[in-house]
Amino acid sequence: MSIRGWANAFRDALRSMTQSGLMSLASTLSVAISLLVLAVVMLLAVNLEFMATSVEQQVEIRTYLCAASREETQCNKQELTEDQKQSIVARVRALPNVKEVQYVTKHQALEELKKSDPTQAEALQGFEGSENPLSDEIYVKVVEVEQVKVVADAIKALPGVAKVQYGQGDVEKLLVITNAIRIGGLGLVLLLGAATILTLSNTIRLSVYARRREISIMKLVGATDWYIRRPFMLEGVFLGIFGAAIAGGTTAYGYDRLIPYLQQTTPFLPLVQPVAVITNLILGLLALGAVLGAVGSLISLRRFLKV
Amino acid sequence: MIQLVNVTKVYPNTHTPSLNGVSLRVERGEFVFLVGPSGAGKSSLMKLLYREELPTSGRILLDGKDLSKLPDRSVPYLRRSLGVIFQDFKLLPDRTVFENVAFALECTDVPRREIIRRVPAALELVGLRHKTHSRSSELSGGEQQRVAVARAIVRNPVLVVADEPTGNLDPENSWAIMKLLQEINQMGATVVVATHAKNIVNAMKKRVIAIERGRVVRDEQRGTYGYEH
Repeated sequence: MSIRGWANAFRDALRSMTQSGLMSLASTLSVAISLLVLAVVMLLAVNLEFMATSVEQQVEIRTYLCAASREETQCNKQELTEDQKQSIVARVRALPNVKEVQYVTKHQALEELKKSDPTQAEALQGFEGSENPLSDEIYVKVVEVEQVKVVADAIKALPGVAKVQYGQGDVEKLLVITNAIRIGGLGLVLLLGAATILTLSNTIRLSVYARRREISIMKLVGATDWYIRRPFMLEGVFLGIFGAAIAGGTTAYGYDRLIPYLQQTTPFLPLVQPVAVITNLILGLLALGAVLGAVGSLISLRRFLKV
Repeated sequence: MIQLVNVTKVYPNTHTPSLNGVSLRVERGEFVFLVGPSGAGKSSLMKLLYREELPTSGRILLDGKDLSKLPDRSVPYLRRSLGVIFQDFKLLPDRTVFENVAFALECTDVPRREIIRRVPAALELVGLRHKTHSRSSELSGGEQQRVAVARAIVRNPVLVVADEPTGNLDPENSWAIMKLLQEINQMGATVVVATHAKNIVNAMKKRVIAIERGRVVRDEQRGTYGYEH
């Protein structure tokens, strides 16, 4: 396809857009609105995903080892030897899906406690050595949060383990919520994408109708389908890109303003920084606008331009 | 050049065929008038020639190629070797004479310098060189049809198909257009003209094929119009 052919198509697309200026504006704006909502949903999803991930990363299985002071029946009021403790740590490490294992003796745990609250350090003095009421613990992080219950149950089944804790119930709820957000976000994105395609294909249909005389002549003098379709496709792509540019610019600006504000008011929320997403968001929206425009115009051309 | 073998065309939702078992042959370089009452099937036959329609049955051979077997994507290339002229001119009113003729070349990716060379030559032939930059909507009917002729021949087609080219024109302009078509024929193109212009057909003494109710009823060399209206 020659450069000149592309130049003609480009010129025809621009001519068609300016000739139906209001219509082009209207469809650009409705594309912009659809993509704006889409961009907001995407930013929301990215942030929730980010939060979910950071919460997931905090999920940890706390394993308490048996000791004479513990009440659990499987412990039999027996103290474990150092070898037994090390063997439990080794067996936990060997379990599938285990990412990180940290062994903390009750002595270390007491020291941590003193450090974390110096005002109580004095009072805790009397609990050192054999008077230490704390247990030896193993902190376990898993590779996949979905598998936390499986791993916890496996650890619990090991002899010498008194108790495991991993926020039972909370993790399951978190997983339900993040999955719902993923599915809902995807559904909304698909819906808005379809709406955008419909808007664009409608606009292109009107353009085709406005130029039906020209099209019939083009066919008569032997223009190929591709030659006839190309300017309409370009028009759809342009409208999609314009709409995406408006949507992208608006969301980027808004997000850039919103995040610093949110970090002041709710500093505990883990949020995605604007620099990390804005470029990708804008590029993604532009690409999406172009693709939706091409698809939208192809749909109307298929129906209205058969030879 | 053209060969129709037992061609029948039935449009959807109609009972009587527009063409009913038509067979005919037109040699390269011939000039043929197609006459007959309105609705006799002349336009249907024309549409089959430039592959706007496909026959319901029978074969149409153009230069030995069966048009029914031509794949859709090859149709544009077939049409580039044809020139088609209509009663309603089919020009783009908001464009100039030059642009209208150039349009046929542009949308088939002919290089610019070729367009600049060929369009004035075609306009010269139809006698509209001086109107090159006029908008086609500002021209008289006769002039508009001459632009359409220029567009049809700018590619040096082997076959020119004209469906009632003088239907909207006064006698003087009608004669001018027919003379032009004759000239194009003398330059080597095969020309098929469907027409009601009785006086011109009678005067030009060309081959006349008459169609009535979808059938060829008469085919004479140096024929006459043969109808009263």
